Amino acid sequence: MKLTRGDKVFQTFNYVFLFAAAATMLFPLLQLLAVSFSSPIAADSKQVFLLPVEFTTATWKHVLQNAELWRSFGITVYITVAGTVLSMLFSVLTAYPLAHKDFLLKRPVMLGIIVTMIFNAPMIPFFLTVRELGMMNSLWALILPGIIGTFNMIIIRTFFMGLPKELDDSARIDGCSDAGILFRIYLPLSKPVLATVSLFYAVGYWNTFSRAVLFIRDPEKWPLQMKLRAYLTSPEELASVNMFLGDYDFNTTTLKAATILFATIPIVLVYPYLQKYFVKGSMLGSLKE
Amino acid sequence: MAEWMRNRTAPESRILANMRKHWILYLMILPGILYYIVFKYVPLAGSVIAFQDFQIFKGIGGSEWVGLENFQYIFSYQDFYTVLRNTAVIAFYQLVFGFPAPIILALLFNEVRLMLAKRFVQSLFYLPHFLSWVVVGGIVFELLSSQGVINAVREWLGLEQILFMQEQKYFRSIVVISAIWKDVGWGTIIYLAAIAGINPNLYEAAVMDGANRWKQTMHITLPTMFPTILVLFLLNIGNFLELGFDQIYNLLTPMTYSVGDIIETYVYRAGVLQGQYSVTTTIGLFQSIIGFALLWIFNRMARKTEQGLW
Repeated sequence: MKLTRGDKVFQTFNYVFLFAAAATMLFPLLQLLAVSFSSPIAADSKQVFLLPVEFTTATWKHVLQNAELWRSFGITVYITVAGTVLSMLFSVLTAYPLAHKDFLLKRPVMLGIIVTMIFNAPMIPFFLTVRELGMMNSLWALILPGIIGTFNMIIIRTFFMGLPKELDDSARIDGCSDAGILFRIYLPLSKPVLATVSLFYAVGYWNTFSRAVLFIRDPEKWPLQMKLRAYLTSPEELASVNMFLGDYDFNTTTLKAATILFATIPIVLVYPYLQKYFVKGSMLGSLKE
Repeated sequence: MAEWMRNRTAPESRILANMRKHWILYLMILPGILYYIVFKYVPLAGSVIAFQDFQIFKGIGGSEWVGLENFQYIFSYQDFYTVLRNTAVIAFYQLVFGFPAPIILALLFNEVRLMLAKRFVQSLFYLPHFLSWVVVGGIVFELLSSQGVINAVREWLGLEQILFMQEQKYFRSIVVISAIWKDVGWGTIIYLAAIAGINPNLYEAAVMDGANRWKQTMHITLPTMFPTILVLFLLNIGNFLELGFDQIYNLLTPMTYSVGDIIETYVYRAGVLQGQYSVTTTIGLFQSIIGFALLWIFNRMARKTEQGLW
């Protein structure tokens, strides 16, 4: 195709704009990384720009020795693993009947679920319900009240519905039960979509915040995001030493930068896998539904 | 045929037969149904405390019914108007600037011919969606602080430093820009799916007719995206006043309450922390009613030109 002069100008502009905007997506994290490896004086005098100035690992040593931070990290790992497994179990078990051609309650149940997407319960009755169930200060409050993500469940259901019906029929002739079809045929064929949805759930659990704000009052049970928030609002606790009494190679600026990254790095590590899946077609089709 | 007739006449026995044959399906879906009842429908029904003087130790059964008293109370209450105005203004900005952003970005992605460049740029744009608002809030505070990189640039340009997060006039812009930054890339996915479904023959025919890229975009790409845009717009309208607790909570400081305190952050403070359950539920219910009313109105308008949500 022949490009006109206008096309060429536009193309150039478009590349410059997109690359510049994409750079801003990564820039803040890289900047914080540079600050976290810089000396406190350099960080506070605005000398750091993408590269550490007066390189030091003191900040990271201090952050990585913080037992409370690791405890919150452990809690978050725990709810991420347990929550993702339970969420996948609940979602698959709900999606399969809703994709099954012989399940009579398919339409009413589906309607009932979609209604909850339009009518969201206000915060307070939701809070009171979970509290009535005795889940205050329990890690269950971070898992059960959101165990099925309706969107995620519908992605799985749409994928199941797209599997060829002949598979069902031939399996049934071979004596396979409904459960057998799910576990021996559907699930092995759905690995990519199950992986994608698992990663969505895992990221959701890793980033759990508002439920922790509502339900977890005991600081010893705070997940990582809550702990991070507490440290960001009162960074002196993060320092945990009297900055005036000694000569330290870190300060609250560098500590905050490192702590933000501490809570982010696992996401950045799984991100390449994450995006490999969700960009693929299987996801796109189901989102349209 | 005979069996079908029998089924028509006795639906109960049809369900019973279905249950007997496929009992495992009913068993499988039971936990899911319980989840939706306990954590979605029960709290929805619990909204009735908006019409009560709800006392936690008396419960819904024992608390006094007060009719619309709570609604009268919130409408006579100055704080409510402040919070409602903040919510509506920020929501309006989000709609005007935040809603078109992923549409425009998807169109720009679509013009990138080098697949490798496209994939690279896209994967950077999707990244912030996966960061929590605590992290993004922390990033925003750090970059905009007096030691932050933005003020470093200002100093370098010879400008005075600005404490962005403490000044009321910047708060709403920061909310809108940070929301776009976080989710604009993610938002393109659904539009790119719509674009991917366009028949390439349409473009070829347009080229034959002498249409340039701009005209192809305006007359083929955008019209094909329109149904998706409309559906997303309607869903957006239905959640118009629900800005998201996480974002505002993590950007708000007492210095910016007057412009940034929204319904959700207010309800959290007055309801969860101070125990004013009935009044805050009333505010939440009011928010839902406005959302649904807007959805209903815009859906009617949409049906006149295109398909609505229902």
